[in-house]
Order: sequence, then C-alpha cells, then structure tokens
Amino acid sequence: MDPDALAKAFVEHYYSTFDTNRAGLANLYQESSMLTFEGQKIQGSQNIVNKLTSLPFQQCKHTITTVDCQPSGPAGGMLVLVSGNLQLSGEQHALKFSQMFHLMPTPQGSFYVYNHIFRLNYA
Amino acid sequence: MYKLQEEMEEQVEMVGRAFVEHYYHLFDTDRSSLASLYHQSSMLTFEGQKLQGVDDICAKINQLPFDKCHHFISTIDTQPSSFAGGITVFVSGSLRLMCEEHPLRFSQMFHLIPTPQGSFYVQNDIFRLNYG
Repeated sequence: MDPDALAKAFVEHYYSTFDTNRAGLANLYQESSMLTFEGQKIQGSQNIVNKLTSLPFQQCKHTITTVDCQPSGPAGGMLVLVSGNLQLSGEQHALKFSQMFHLMPTPQGSFYVYNHIFRLNYA
Repeated sequence: MYKLQEEMEEQVEMVGRAFVEHYYHLFDTDRSSLASLYHQSSMLTFEGQKLQGVDDICAKINQLPFDKCHHFISTIDTQPSSFAGGITVFVSGSLRLMCEEHPLRFSQMFHLIPTPQGSFYVQNDIFRLNYG
C-alpha cells in the first residue's frame, strides 16, 4: 500500500477511535511509546491512555486538514504531521491543533505509535 | 535508574533545542548555508511539496519568494526517536516576512540523525503553515 495512503488510513483510524472509544487507543501504543501533550511528557501505553481518557471533555470530534508523511528509516517507520480542528461539544469555537506521530511497524503487519507530540495552535 | 533517564531526556531536549535555534538562525541570516544540515538521503515536505536530497531541498529553500525573514519560535518539543541517537523535534512558531504586515504561523517537524563527527543532520523535515 502506498505510504501516504497508509499514513492517512492510520490517522483516520486514530481519530475515529479517539472520538468514539478513547480507551481503545491503548492498542495503538506500547510500553516504549512516548507522548508529549501540550508540553507534558508521558511514557507507556497505560500512562498515555490514562492521560487521554482523563482530558476534561466527554465528547469531541477531530477534523483533519492536512496529513504529511515520510519514511523515517530502514526499520519501516513513518513520520506523520497532521493539522486539524478539534471540536469539543458545548464549545462554540473549534480548537486548532498540530500533531506529530512516528509510527513503527508491528510483526503483525500494522503500526503502533512510538513518538507522539500534540500541540494546540493558538491564534 | 530514573535519574539516568531524566538526564538523558534533558540531554535530548538540549540538543534538539540547540539544533532548532541554529537551524532558524541560519535560515534567517544565511539561507544557503542550510546545505550543511541536509544529506543526500534527506527529505523535505514543504506545504505538501515533496523534495529529496540536499541539492533539491536547498534549491527549494533558496527560491522561496522572499529575501529576508525571521522565525520566532513559540514551542519546541523533543523526543528520542527509535533510530539509535535520533531525535524527533516538533516546533511551532511564527514567520515574519519583511514587508508583510502579519506574521505567518507554522508547525515544523524535524527528525535528526547523529553524524560520525558528533553533530546531527536533518533526515526528515515537514513544514506546514497554520492558517487562522
């Protein structure tokens, strides 16, 4: 499958899981995974999912504006830069965000998130 | 064990930060010298346009339609990548072009790989403007 299509498919799956079943993100991370969320550093699937499920909103919807990807090296990794909007229910204005993923292949032929950095884009 | 990890994290952060500040300083004062930071294997995606190799990347950067500019960095986040000694850096900031009233907001991602000489080069670079 074409790397761009793979990256796009992963990203869509990620946000769809985030928006409908946040706890389900656990199988997209591993013990070695790292998340930096608005400057806060978190390591490991359990800690990462705890952070994401404890964010102070119930419902949200991510809309993707741009997805760019590049292969990161001989191990088959992919770097992905996403920008988009995050609409929280009850909020009038959507938040703009940018997010970087470094995806690594699993033996089963899919990907997990090794590096993950999230930042809101303030005006 | 935790102290060692903390020290390593601090080191990664210092290196990432120093590299990024150096990168934008060169960009803003001597754009053609950015060639020293890319290799033949390097990749740049600039506003969706894909380029590979130091020559094509530098040609693109040198041809951007402005003479002078200044990057202001708002945030720098770093993490070690899965590559031995590699660092991923995520930057957000604003880019002021001379003669433009309003600065442009941008996000940029770098994947830095160590060189045998003890510095780093940019293996992956993705740049996007953030429109309001």
